[in-house]
Amino acid sequence: MSYVLNPATVEQAVQMLASHPGARPLSGGASLVAMKNARLIEPDCLVNLAGIAALRGIARQADGSLRIGGLSRHRDLAECALLAGDQAMIRQAAGVIANRVVRNMGTIGGAVGNADPAADYLPVLACAEARVELAGPGGTRHLTMPDYLLGWYETALQPGEFVAAVILPPAGPGPSVYRKLARTPGDYATVSVACARVGEGVRVAVGACGPAPLRSPVAEGALAGRLSDPAAVAAFGAALVDLSDPVDDVRGSADYRRRLIPRMVAAAIRDVTEG
Amino acid sequence: MARKEVLSLQINGTEREVFAPGDATLLTVLRDDLSLTAAKRGCNQGVCGACTVMVDDAPVRACLTLAGACAGRAVTTLEGLGSDPVMQALQEAMIVSGAVQCGFCTSGMLVTARDLLAQTPLPDDATIRAALSGNLCRCTGYTRIVEAVHSAAQALREVTP
Repeated sequence: MSYVLNPATVEQAVQMLASHPGARPLSGGASLVAMKNARLIEPDCLVNLAGIAALRGIARQADGSLRIGGLSRHRDLAECALLAGDQAMIRQAAGVIANRVVRNMGTIGGAVGNADPAADYLPVLACAEARVELAGPGGTRHLTMPDYLLGWYETALQPGEFVAAVILPPAGPGPSVYRKLARTPGDYATVSVACARVGEGVRVAVGACGPAPLRSPVAEGALAGRLSDPAAVAAFGAALVDLSDPVDDVRGSADYRRRLIPRMVAAAIRDVTEG
Repeated sequence: MARKEVLSLQINGTEREVFAPGDATLLTVLRDDLSLTAAKRGCNQGVCGACTVMVDDAPVRACLTLAGACAGRAVTTLEGLGSDPVMQALQEAMIVSGAVQCGFCTSGMLVTARDLLAQTPLPDDATIRAALSGNLCRCTGYTRIVEAVHSAAQALREVTP
Protein backbone atom coordinates (compact mmCIF):
# COMPACT_ATOMS: atom_id res chain seq x y z
CA MET A 1 0.00 0.00 0.00
CA SER A 2 1.20 3.50 -0.80
CA TYR A 3 1.75 6.03 1.98
CA VAL A 4 -0.28 8.64 0.11
CA LEU A 5 -3.70 7.32 -0.87
CA ASN A 6 -5.53 9.13 -3.66
CA PRO A 7 -9.30 8.67 -3.45
CA ALA A 8 -11.48 9.98 -6.30
CA THR A 9 -14.67 10.43 -4.29
CA VAL A 10 -15.73 11.56 -0.81
CA GLU A 11 -17.06 8.04 -0.15
CA GLN A 12 -13.69 6.47 -1.01
CA ALA A 13 -11.90 8.98 1.24
CA VAL A 14 -14.26 8.23 4.13
CA GLN A 15 -13.74 4.49 3.56
CA MET A 16 -9.95 4.85 3.54
CA LEU A 17 -9.93 6.93 6.71
CA ALA A 18 -12.21 4.40 8.39
CA SER A 19 -9.99 1.44 7.49
CA HIS A 20 -6.74 3.16 8.55
CA PRO A 21 -7.22 4.66 12.02
CA GLY A 22 -3.72 6.19 11.92
CA ALA A 23 -4.41 8.04 8.66
CA ARG A 24 -4.95 11.75 8.31
CA PRO A 25 -6.76 13.60 5.54
CA LEU A 26 -4.39 15.76 3.46
CA SER A 27 -5.60 18.86 1.67
CA GLY A 28 -3.09 21.54 0.56
CA GLY A 29 -0.39 20.41 2.99
CA ALA A 30 0.51 23.91 4.12
CA SER A 31 -0.03 23.06 7.81
CA LEU A 32 -0.14 19.25 7.86
CA VAL A 33 3.17 18.66 6.05
CA ALA A 34 4.84 21.45 8.05
CA MET A 35 3.73 19.71 11.25
CA LYS A 36 4.92 16.37 9.90
CA ASN A 37 8.31 17.87 8.97
CA ALA A 38 8.58 19.18 12.53
CA ARG A 39 7.62 15.70 13.83
CA LEU A 40 4.65 17.09 15.70
CA ILE A 41 2.52 14.42 14.01
CA GLU A 42 3.51 11.09 12.47
CA PRO A 43 0.49 9.75 10.58
CA ASP A 44 0.57 6.11 9.39
CA CYS A 45 -0.60 7.25 5.96
CA LEU A 46 -2.27 10.22 4.31
CA VAL A 47 -5.55 10.33 2.42
CA ASN A 48 -4.98 12.98 -0.23
CA LEU A 49 -8.27 14.76 -0.89
CA ALA A 50 -6.88 16.76 -3.84
CA GLY A 51 -8.37 14.51 -6.55
CA ILE A 52 -11.97 14.70 -5.28
CA ALA A 53 -13.95 16.85 -7.70
CA ALA A 54 -16.89 17.24 -5.30
CA LEU A 55 -14.66 19.19 -2.89
CA ARG A 56 -13.76 21.79 -5.53
CA GLY A 57 -15.45 24.94 -6.65
CA ILE A 58 -17.34 27.88 -5.20
CA ALA A 59 -20.96 27.93 -6.29
CA ARG A 60 -24.23 29.70 -5.50
CA GLN A 61 -26.91 27.23 -4.37
CA ALA A 62 -30.59 27.34 -5.31
CA ASP A 63 -31.46 28.81 -1.89
CA GLY A 64 -29.01 31.69 -2.36
CA SER A 65 -26.35 30.23 -0.07
CA LEU A 66 -22.76 29.95 -1.29
CA ARG A 67 -21.02 26.57 -1.11
CA ILE A 68 -17.24 26.86 -0.88
CA GLY A 69 -15.64 23.47 -1.53
CA GLY A 70 -13.06 22.49 1.07
CA LEU A 71 -10.31 22.26 -1.56
CA SER A 72 -10.73 25.94 -2.51
CA ARG A 73 -7.32 27.52 -2.08
CA HIS A 74 -6.80 30.82 -0.28
CA ARG A 75 -5.88 32.22 -3.67
CA ASP A 76 -9.24 31.14 -5.13
CA LEU A 77 -11.14 32.89 -2.34
CA ALA A 78 -8.98 36.01 -2.57
CA GLU A 79 -10.01 36.29 -6.24
CA CYS A 80 -13.66 35.25 -5.83
CA ALA A 81 -16.10 37.95 -7.02
CA LEU A 82 -19.02 36.06 -5.42
CA LEU A 83 -17.67 37.19 -2.03
CA ALA A 84 -19.20 40.67 -1.92
CA GLY A 85 -21.22 42.92 0.38
CA ASP A 86 -21.30 41.57 3.91
CA GLN A 87 -19.07 38.67 2.77
CA ALA A 88 -16.33 40.76 1.10
CA MET A 89 -14.39 40.45 4.37
CA ILE A 90 -13.85 36.73 3.62
CA ARG A 91 -12.16 37.60 0.35
CA GLN A 92 -10.07 40.19 2.15
CA ALA A 93 -9.04 37.69 4.86
CA ALA A 94 -8.06 35.07 2.27
CA GLY A 95 -5.80 37.61 0.57
CA VAL A 96 -3.73 38.31 3.69
CA ILE A 97 -2.99 34.69 4.64
CA ALA A 98 0.77 34.03 4.51
CA ASN A 99 2.04 34.95 1.01
CA ARG A 100 1.23 34.31 -2.66
CA VAL A 101 2.99 30.97 -2.85
CA VAL A 102 1.40 29.55 0.30
CA ARG A 103 -1.98 30.89 -0.87
CA ASN A 104 -1.53 28.65 -3.94
CA MET A 105 -1.35 25.63 -1.62
CA GLY A 106 -3.43 26.14 1.52
CA THR A 107 -7.17 25.43 1.39
CA ILE A 108 -10.16 26.63 3.39
CA GLY A 109 -11.01 23.05 4.33
CA GLY A 110 -7.53 22.50 5.70
CA ALA A 111 -7.46 25.82 7.53
CA VAL A 112 -10.88 25.30 9.12
CA GLY A 113 -9.94 21.72 9.99
CA ASN A 114 -6.73 22.86 11.67
CA ALA A 115 -8.68 25.66 13.42
CA ASP A 116 -5.71 27.71 14.56
CA PRO A 117 -7.29 30.40 16.77
CA ALA A 118 -5.03 33.06 15.22
CA ALA A 119 -5.73 32.06 11.61
CA ASP A 120 -7.65 34.43 9.37
CA TYR A 121 -10.74 32.48 8.31
CA LEU A 122 -12.26 31.77 11.72
CA PRO A 123 -13.35 35.33 12.63
CA VAL A 124 -14.72 36.15 9.16
CA LEU A 125 -16.62 32.85 9.00
CA ALA A 126 -18.01 33.37 12.51
CA CYS A 127 -19.03 36.92 11.56
CA ALA A 128 -20.64 35.68 8.34
CA GLU A 129 -22.59 33.02 10.30
CA ALA A 130 -21.11 30.33 8.08
CA ARG A 131 -21.75 26.63 8.56
CA VAL A 132 -19.13 23.93 8.22
CA GLU A 133 -19.97 20.80 6.23
CA LEU A 134 -18.29 17.70 7.64
CA ALA A 135 -18.04 14.41 5.75
CA GLY A 136 -17.45 11.19 7.63
CA PRO A 137 -18.53 7.63 8.30
CA GLY A 138 -21.88 8.83 9.67
CA GLY A 139 -22.61 10.80 6.51
CA THR A 140 -22.62 14.57 6.10
CA ARG A 141 -23.44 17.04 8.86
CA HIS A 142 -23.55 20.82 9.08
CA LEU A 143 -22.45 22.79 12.13
CA THR A 144 -22.44 26.48 12.98
CA MET A 145 -19.04 27.91 13.85
CA PRO A 146 -19.85 28.11 17.61
CA ASP A 147 -20.91 24.43 17.55
CA TYR A 148 -17.88 23.43 15.47
CA LEU A 149 -15.17 25.21 17.50
CA LEU A 150 -14.95 23.56 20.91
CA GLY A 151 -11.65 24.75 22.38
CA TRP A 152 -8.02 25.58 21.64
CA TYR A 153 -7.37 23.69 18.37
CA GLU A 154 -10.30 21.48 19.31
CA THR A 155 -13.17 21.03 16.90
CA ALA A 156 -16.25 18.84 16.61
CA LEU A 157 -14.45 16.76 13.93
CA GLN A 158 -14.66 13.09 14.88
CA PRO A 159 -12.03 10.53 13.84
CA GLY A 160 -12.45 9.85 10.13
CA GLU A 161 -14.26 13.12 9.45
CA PHE A 162 -12.96 16.04 7.40
CA VAL A 163 -14.17 19.48 6.33
CA ALA A 164 -15.89 19.03 2.97
CA ALA A 165 -17.19 22.57 2.50
CA VAL A 166 -18.05 25.87 4.10
CA ILE A 167 -21.58 27.18 3.48
CA LEU A 168 -22.34 30.89 3.61
CA PRO A 169 -25.89 32.20 3.97
CA PRO A 170 -27.24 34.49 1.23
CA ALA A 171 -25.17 37.69 1.23
CA GLY A 172 -26.45 41.04 2.42
CA PRO A 173 -25.37 44.43 1.05
CA GLY A 174 -22.78 45.06 3.78
CA PRO A 175 -20.26 46.59 3.69
CA SER A 176 -17.87 44.39 5.63
CA VAL A 177 -14.21 44.56 6.61
CA TYR A 178 -11.44 42.38 7.98
CA ARG A 179 -8.83 44.18 10.06
CA LYS A 180 -5.69 42.31 11.05
CA LEU A 181 -2.85 43.43 13.23
CA ALA A 182 0.25 41.29 12.71
CA ARG A 183 3.96 41.73 13.37
CA THR A 184 4.71 41.44 9.68
CA PRO A 185 2.60 40.81 6.55
CA GLY A 186 1.76 37.12 6.27
CA ASP A 187 2.16 36.33 9.96
CA TYR A 188 -0.68 34.98 12.04
CA ALA A 189 -2.76 37.74 13.62
CA THR A 190 -1.92 39.28 16.98
CA VAL A 191 -5.55 40.41 17.00
CA SER A 192 -8.01 40.43 14.11
CA VAL A 193 -11.53 41.78 13.74
CA ALA A 194 -14.24 40.88 11.24
CA CYS A 195 -17.12 43.35 10.98
CA ALA A 196 -20.20 43.34 8.76
CA ARG A 197 -22.86 46.03 8.57
CA VAL A 198 -26.41 44.74 8.98
CA GLY A 199 -28.94 47.55 8.57
CA GLU A 200 -28.34 49.97 11.44
CA GLY A 201 -26.24 47.45 13.34
CA VAL A 202 -23.16 45.26 12.92
CA ARG A 203 -22.02 41.72 13.43
CA VAL A 204 -18.49 41.56 14.86
CA ALA A 205 -16.13 38.65 15.54
CA VAL A 206 -12.67 39.01 17.10
CA GLY A 207 -9.89 36.54 16.27
CA ALA A 208 -6.74 35.42 18.12
CA CYS A 209 -8.10 36.38 21.56
CA GLY A 210 -9.45 33.05 22.77
CA PRO A 211 -10.00 29.46 21.64
CA ALA A 212 -12.67 30.58 19.15
CA PRO A 213 -13.71 33.93 17.66
CA LEU A 214 -15.37 36.26 20.19
CA ARG A 215 -18.90 37.24 19.31
CA SER A 216 -21.76 38.66 21.36
CA PRO A 217 -25.18 38.88 19.67
CA VAL A 218 -26.53 40.50 22.87
CA ALA A 219 -23.95 43.32 22.73
CA GLU A 220 -24.57 43.64 18.97
CA GLY A 221 -28.27 44.13 19.75
CA ALA A 222 -27.49 46.87 22.27
CA LEU A 223 -25.24 48.63 19.73
CA ALA A 224 -27.78 48.57 16.88
CA GLY A 225 -28.81 52.08 15.85
CA ARG A 226 -25.98 53.64 17.89
CA LEU A 227 -22.97 52.95 15.62
CA SER A 228 -21.93 56.62 15.70
CA ASP A 229 -22.22 56.92 19.49
CA PRO A 230 -18.70 56.66 20.92
CA ALA A 231 -19.99 55.58 24.34
CA ALA A 232 -22.02 52.76 22.81
CA VAL A 233 -19.06 51.63 20.69
CA ALA A 234 -16.79 51.72 23.77
CA ALA A 235 -19.30 49.65 25.77
CA PHE A 236 -19.48 47.17 22.90
CA GLY A 237 -15.66 46.87 22.80
CA ALA A 238 -15.60 46.36 26.58
CA ALA A 239 -18.18 43.56 26.27
CA LEU A 240 -15.90 41.73 23.81
CA VAL A 241 -12.87 42.23 26.08
CA ASP A 242 -14.90 40.56 28.85
CA LEU A 243 -15.44 37.53 26.60
CA SER A 244 -11.77 37.30 25.67
CA ASP A 245 -9.25 34.77 26.96
CA PRO A 246 -6.03 35.79 25.20
CA VAL A 247 -2.64 34.12 25.66
CA ASP A 248 0.81 35.62 26.17
CA ASP A 249 2.92 34.58 23.21
CA VAL A 250 5.57 35.77 20.80
CA ARG A 251 2.98 37.91 18.97
CA GLY A 252 1.99 39.91 22.04
CA SER A 253 1.01 39.69 25.67
CA ALA A 254 -2.52 38.93 26.78
CA ASP A 255 -2.74 42.43 28.24
CA TYR A 256 -1.67 43.99 24.93
CA ARG A 257 -4.33 41.98 23.11
CA ARG A 258 -7.02 43.10 25.58
CA ARG A 259 -6.02 46.71 24.89
CA LEU A 260 -6.12 46.17 21.13
CA ILE A 261 -9.64 44.69 21.03
CA PRO A 262 -11.67 47.89 21.69
CA ARG A 263 -9.46 50.01 19.42
CA MET A 264 -9.61 47.59 16.51
CA VAL A 265 -13.33 46.97 16.97
CA ALA A 266 -14.03 50.72 16.94
CA ALA A 267 -11.89 51.15 13.81
CA ALA A 268 -13.71 48.30 12.05
CA ILE A 269 -17.10 49.79 12.96
CA ARG A 270 -15.95 53.13 11.51
CA ASP A 271 -14.88 51.30 8.34
CA VAL A 272 -18.41 50.00 7.76
CA THR A 273 -20.27 53.17 8.78
CA GLU A 274 -18.32 55.99 7.15
CA GLY A 275 -18.23 56.67 3.40
CA MET B 1 9.95 7.09 8.09
CA ALA B 2 7.55 5.34 5.80
CA ARG B 3 8.37 2.25 3.71
CA LYS B 4 10.08 2.92 0.37
CA GLU B 5 7.96 2.80 -2.75
CA VAL B 6 8.23 3.68 -6.40
CA LEU B 7 7.03 7.24 -7.03
CA SER B 8 6.41 8.44 -10.58
CA LEU B 9 6.87 12.12 -11.22
CA GLN B 10 6.98 14.45 -14.19
CA ILE B 11 9.96 16.71 -13.58
CA ASN B 12 11.00 19.41 -16.04
CA GLY B 13 9.13 17.69 -18.86
CA THR B 14 10.60 14.23 -18.23
CA GLU B 15 8.98 11.22 -16.56
CA ARG B 16 11.12 10.17 -13.59
CA GLU B 17 10.76 7.23 -11.23
CA VAL B 18 12.36 7.25 -7.81
CA PHE B 19 12.45 4.66 -5.03
CA ALA B 20 11.91 6.76 -1.95
CA PRO B 21 10.03 6.67 1.37
CA GLY B 22 6.32 7.04 0.64
CA ASP B 23 6.13 10.11 2.86
CA ALA B 24 9.06 11.91 1.19
CA THR B 25 8.48 15.52 0.32
CA LEU B 26 8.95 16.74 -3.22
CA LEU B 27 11.96 18.71 -1.97
CA THR B 28 13.66 15.59 -0.60
CA VAL B 29 13.10 13.70 -3.84
CA LEU B 30 14.34 16.58 -5.98
CA ARG B 31 17.50 17.14 -3.98
CA ASP B 32 18.43 13.72 -2.60
CA ASP B 33 17.15 11.37 -5.30
CA LEU B 34 17.32 13.43 -8.50
CA SER B 35 20.26 15.74 -7.60
CA LEU B 36 18.23 18.78 -8.64
CA THR B 37 19.62 21.08 -5.97
CA ALA B 38 18.43 24.51 -7.10
CA ALA B 39 15.55 24.27 -4.63
CA LYS B 40 17.11 24.68 -1.19
CA ARG B 41 16.11 23.16 2.13
CA GLY B 42 15.95 26.14 4.47
CA CYS B 43 13.27 26.00 7.16
CA ASN B 44 11.38 22.89 5.93
CA GLN B 45 8.29 24.69 7.26
CA GLY B 46 7.12 26.64 4.22
CA VAL B 47 8.28 29.94 5.66
CA CYS B 48 11.59 30.80 3.97
CA GLY B 49 10.67 30.24 0.31
CA ALA B 50 14.06 28.80 -0.69
CA CYS B 51 12.43 25.59 -1.99
CA THR B 52 9.86 27.27 -4.25
CA VAL B 53 9.13 25.30 -7.45
CA MET B 54 6.30 25.25 -9.98
CA VAL B 55 3.64 22.53 -9.81
CA ASP B 56 1.50 22.81 -12.94
CA ASP B 57 1.13 26.57 -13.38
CA ALA B 58 1.55 27.76 -9.79
CA PRO B 59 4.58 28.23 -7.54
CA VAL B 60 4.45 26.10 -4.38
CA ARG B 61 6.70 25.08 -1.52
CA ALA B 62 8.46 21.82 -2.39
CA CYS B 63 9.01 21.18 1.33
CA LEU B 64 5.25 21.17 1.99
CA THR B 65 4.39 19.08 -1.07
CA LEU B 66 4.47 15.30 -0.78
CA ALA B 67 6.05 13.60 -3.77
CA GLY B 68 3.35 10.94 -3.56
CA ALA B 69 0.71 13.62 -4.10
CA CYS B 70 2.32 14.86 -7.35
CA ALA B 71 1.23 12.01 -9.63
CA GLY B 72 -0.10 13.42 -12.87
CA ARG B 73 1.16 16.91 -12.15
CA ALA B 74 3.97 18.76 -13.93
CA VAL B 75 6.80 19.84 -11.65
CA THR B 76 9.17 22.52 -12.92
CA THR B 77 12.27 23.52 -11.00
CA LEU B 78 14.70 26.33 -11.70
CA GLU B 79 16.81 23.81 -13.64
CA GLY B 80 13.91 23.43 -16.07
CA LEU B 81 13.56 27.15 -16.69
CA GLY B 82 16.99 27.85 -18.17
CA SER B 83 15.64 28.71 -21.61
CA ASP B 84 12.63 30.66 -20.36
CA PRO B 85 13.02 34.28 -21.54
CA VAL B 86 11.52 35.78 -18.37
CA MET B 87 13.86 33.67 -16.24
CA GLN B 88 16.86 34.66 -18.36
CA ALA B 89 15.98 38.34 -17.98
CA LEU B 90 15.66 37.93 -14.22
CA GLN B 91 18.98 36.09 -13.95
CA GLU B 92 20.79 38.76 -15.99
CA ALA B 93 19.23 41.50 -13.88
CA MET B 94 20.13 39.77 -10.60
CA ILE B 95 23.77 39.64 -11.69
CA VAL B 96 23.87 43.24 -12.91
CA SER B 97 22.09 44.59 -9.82
CA GLY B 98 24.28 42.64 -7.40
CA ALA B 99 21.19 40.96 -5.97
CA VAL B 100 23.03 37.74 -5.08
CA GLN B 101 25.25 37.42 -2.03
CA CYS B 102 25.34 33.96 -0.47
CA GLY B 103 22.85 32.78 -3.09
CA PHE B 104 20.83 30.48 -0.85
CA CYS B 105 17.54 32.35 -1.41
CA THR B 106 18.20 33.10 -5.08
CA SER B 107 16.53 30.06 -6.68
CA GLY B 108 13.31 30.60 -4.75
CA MET B 109 13.39 34.34 -5.42
CA LEU B 110 13.76 33.67 -9.15
CA VAL B 111 10.90 31.17 -9.36
CA THR B 112 8.61 33.47 -7.37
CA ALA B 113 9.63 36.59 -9.34
CA ARG B 114 9.10 34.81 -12.65
CA ASP B 115 5.54 33.94 -11.64
CA LEU B 116 4.98 37.58 -10.66
CA LEU B 117 6.21 38.90 -14.03
CA ALA B 118 4.13 36.29 -15.87
CA GLN B 119 1.02 37.73 -14.23
CA THR B 120 2.03 41.37 -13.77
CA PRO B 121 4.49 42.42 -16.49
CA LEU B 122 5.30 45.85 -14.98
CA PRO B 123 4.82 45.60 -11.21
CA ASP B 124 5.37 48.57 -8.91
CA ASP B 125 7.62 48.48 -5.88
CA ALA B 126 4.86 47.52 -3.43
CA THR B 127 3.66 44.69 -5.69
CA ILE B 128 7.18 43.25 -5.98
CA ARG B 129 7.75 43.45 -2.24
CA ALA B 130 4.39 41.82 -1.51
CA ALA B 131 5.07 39.06 -4.06
CA LEU B 132 8.51 38.32 -2.59
CA SER B 133 7.38 38.65 1.04
CA GLY B 134 7.39 34.86 1.38
CA ASN B 135 11.04 34.59 0.30
CA LEU B 136 13.50 35.40 3.05
CA CYS B 137 16.97 36.79 2.32
CA ARG B 138 19.40 37.30 5.19
CA CYS B 139 22.13 39.04 3.14
CA THR B 140 20.96 41.71 0.76
CA GLY B 141 18.36 43.73 2.63
CA TYR B 142 16.11 43.06 -0.42
CA THR B 143 16.68 46.44 -2.11
CA ARG B 144 18.82 45.06 -4.93
CA ILE B 145 16.52 42.10 -5.43
CA VAL B 146 13.58 44.48 -5.91
CA GLU B 147 15.73 46.58 -8.27
CA ALA B 148 16.58 43.47 -10.28
CA VAL B 149 12.91 42.55 -10.72
CA HIS B 150 12.22 46.12 -11.92
CA SER B 151 15.05 46.04 -14.43
CA ALA B 152 14.09 42.58 -15.70
CA ALA B 153 10.54 43.84 -16.23
CA GLN B 154 11.88 46.84 -18.17
CA ALA B 155 14.22 44.67 -20.25
CA LEU B 156 11.37 42.32 -21.16
CA ARG B 157 9.18 45.25 -22.12
CA GLU B 158 11.85 46.48 -24.52
CA VAL B 159 12.09 43.13 -26.35
CA THR B 160 8.32 42.54 -26.47
CA PRO B 161 6.65 45.97 -26.79
